[in-house]
Amino acid sequence: MPTIALDDHVLLKGISKQFGSTRAIDSVNLTIRRGEVHALIGENGAGKSTLGKVLAGVHEPDEGSMTIAGKTVRFRSPRQALDMRVTMVAQELQLVPTLTAIENVYLGIESSRGPVVDDRDHRDRYQRLVQQSGIGVDPSRRVDSLSVADQQKVEILRALAREAELIVMDEPTARLTADEASNLLQIIRDLSVGGTTVVFVSHFLDQVLDVADRITIMRDGRIVRTSEAGSESTGSLVEAMIGRTLEANFPPKSPPDTTAETVLTVKGLGRVGSFEDVDLQVNAGEIVALAGLVGSGRTEVVRSVFGVDPVDCGSVEMLGSGVGLGTPRAAIASGMGMIPESRSDQGLMLRRPVRENASLPRLGLFSRLGMVLRRGEQESVQVATTEVDLRAASLEMPVESLSGGNQQKTMFARWLIERPRLLIADEPTRGVDVGAKRAIYELLAGLAEDGMAVLLVSSEIEEVLGLAHRILVMRGGRIVCEIDGIEASEAEVLEAAFGTSAEEAVGV
Amino acid sequence: MSEVHLDEKVESGGLIAHLRPHLKGYGIIWITLALFLLLTVTTGPFFSEANLRNILDQQATLLIAASLATVAMIAGGFDLSISAVFVAAPLLALQVENATQSVLLAVVVGVLAGLFVGCLNGVVVAVLKVNSFIGTLATSFMVFGAGYLISDRRILQPETETFRKIARTRWFSLTTATWIALGVVLATWFLLSRTRFGRHVYATGGNPEAARLAGVRVTGVTIAVFALTGAAAGLAGVVSASRSLSAMPSDDFSFLFGVISAVVVGGTSIAGGEGGVWRTVFGAFFIAFMINGFNLHQVDPIWQRVIQGAVILVAVSIDAWARRRPAG
Ligand SMILES: Nc1ncnc2c1ncn2[C@@H]1O[C@H](COP(=O)(O)OP(=O)(O)OP(=O)(O)O)[C@@H](O)[C@H]1O
Ligand SMILES: [Mg+2]
Repeated sequence: MPTIALDDHVLLKGISKQFGSTRAIDSVNLTIRRGEVHALIGENGAGKSTLGKVLAGVHEPDEGSMTIAGKTVRFRSPRQALDMRVTMVAQELQLVPTLTAIENVYLGIESSRGPVVDDRDHRDRYQRLVQQSGIGVDPSRRVDSLSVADQQKVEILRALAREAELIVMDEPTARLTADEASNLLQIIRDLSVGGTTVVFVSHFLDQVLDVADRITIMRDGRIVRTSEAGSESTGSLVEAMIGRTLEANFPPKSPPDTTAETVLTVKGLGRVGSFEDVDLQVNAGEIVALAGLVGSGRTEVVRSVFGVDPVDCGSVEMLGSGVGLGTPRAAIASGMGMIPESRSDQGLMLRRPVRENASLPRLGLFSRLGMVLRRGEQESVQVATTEVDLRAASLEMPVESLSGGNQQKTMFARWLIERPRLLIADEPTRGVDVGAKRAIYELLAGLAEDGMAVLLVSSEIEEVLGLAHRILVMRGGRIVCEIDGIEASEAEVLEAAFGTSAEEAVGV
Repeated sequence: MSEVHLDEKVESGGLIAHLRPHLKGYGIIWITLALFLLLTVTTGPFFSEANLRNILDQQATLLIAASLATVAMIAGGFDLSISAVFVAAPLLALQVENATQSVLLAVVVGVLAGLFVGCLNGVVVAVLKVNSFIGTLATSFMVFGAGYLISDRRILQPETETFRKIARTRWFSLTTATWIALGVVLATWFLLSRTRFGRHVYATGGNPEAARLAGVRVTGVTIAVFALTGAAAGLAGVVSASRSLSAMPSDDFSFLFGVISAVVVGGTSIAGGEGGVWRTVFGAFFIAFMINGFNLHQVDPIWQRVIQGAVILVAVSIDAWARRRPAG
């Protein structure tokens, strides 16, 4: 759907940005038309986020010129970008955890009477914003008590509240469920119809094809091409992004060995207010997926199994012996590993080098008498990061300087140094590009084939269907049904997750 | 799958951009060396063996405490009770020495007293989840008070020659105080950079939740760093008592300020997760050189304070600027 407005909103000429020895974006020329949805796609580390941050004033470009709404600009801060009505929803959430949702939304743009913040006005505006956008979050909740999906919504509300003419959204749907994502896509379409320009960064090519007017493909910091969305297909995009075609998305499922031993047994696990009566088993060589809507209790269950959160009742056994609950340390000792839902909050020490982040839970392997033997550590991390195709200028770089996808790969590499008997993977492909996603699928399938038990939580229904041998669907804190993963259909899973017929569910 | 991708494209930027990577993280070294050169050139007595030896000796007690305070800070903890332990532990040690004439016992008791207060701090912070500023401020008062009780408000003095010798013996022309400090600095450096425990300290300060999920005993690490800091402050107090041949009760926080200044000027982040003992060593000597320079130039002590504050501010700002990373 080409837009009517024809003037150019943004004109980039020869923009480059360098971090140390990495040229994150390299002489980029790009035109973004007013009111269009302009998608930015490319592999992990291609430079999408960096380009978005240059637009939004987070990074100052080293070279090149930028014209916005006919004015040549040089943003030195996000504030200056905001003055030109440009803002960004960042890939990694940037909210103040101790403030409430509404305080975060109006942070920096408070309306006031004299020096006094006008909370009433905020509430009115918030209400209107929620009505217009259809994104609802309890305004009085502190952000750190919200789920990740709700935090993402707060980020989006914040961008909307700034009444920007240009919004850069960096992987805004990565944390949302399918229906929440399709809501957001509708919001983006509405914004665009209303004249707002949206730069949409995403690894979900179907969403890109669905919502974008034009698509720019990036690779190694350069632009491969910009084209009308109508002239592209998933295949053509993938090929341009990674320079080769990808066949089937998921590796073939090998039927699980029915005689395999049971690795994980969970009995009667419950915590008041979160989940109850959770029984589940995962056998060696089996991938079991927990499916369900956000808030159905999937993450809570796996966090409790891994000892992160306490439980009120029930037991967890690994290989027939009980696991002390309430400490991840005991869980790891019993043979579990976990990739948590949010890599930046729960996974990584952002300022420490990749090497230290990857080796942390397995440091014991490289230690003699409490001393860390660097050489062995270095070699093992190198092998593990190569296995996940992690790209970093060096393993000594702080993790925060890696692109989002490569940060996620660091989490994966962590558990490849020594393989656990059970791997719990909560949204393992969040923020990962198509090529790497495929690699992670192969990795998970391969690990299972070698006898690892895998407990997967994913909001991507294709992922659940494509990988799992068994699917456990959760609703309202309970496991409501078990579906054979080989024969499962999308409709069947959705129906169980919503507790209604699938047709109604999809039509949310 | 491909190798970890090494990028070799280096492009030219402005002069500042060129300077930054070299300055990045090492600003304190250059600033300290610059000051050293400046004083060497401008004052004759500065670069004399006696003066430098003296500075080393004077910095010894501070370095002993500051090394471990650095560890606590990297783990995300802030210990205000260093001063109180520094004051009270030697009082206890001297009482033991006066009563038993056993120096070994006195030293052990002094260090253990510090360790005990440190453990208490650790439990308050890690188990009771009290903010470390508040928790250690509270224990500070208790320990300062204990100092008056232990000493019966008197100045205590060592009775044995051995106690006097703890800090004042010369080996290879340096005092034992200097050697003890060197030993503590090296041990701490080793602990932080080479051991598993050190890794866990960085992880705990960098992101406690992530550290816990990776199997680090976050509570244990926190208690341990406070305990070690307490023990080091106790040792520093004993060494100081031996240097000055006395100990007296007070509620003087000034030792703490010296320690914190050295750690922070060195560039260890108050936010935790980053830093190193070598930084603290440079931070301590930067401040020591500055004060020494003032004295050699006969700057009015009142003005010394003002200038010292300003210089610390500048040093810290330069370091922060050099280490600033692009947001994102
Ligand atoms: N602050 C930084 N410091 C150093 N290097 C950085 C920094 N930010 C990005 N980079 C590097 O710049 C390159 C581009 O990163 P960018 O985050 O723009 O990628 P991306 O296309 O958004 O990837 P992803 O899909 O994984 O989010 C990467 O090589 C990354 O490591
Ligand atoms: Mg990105």
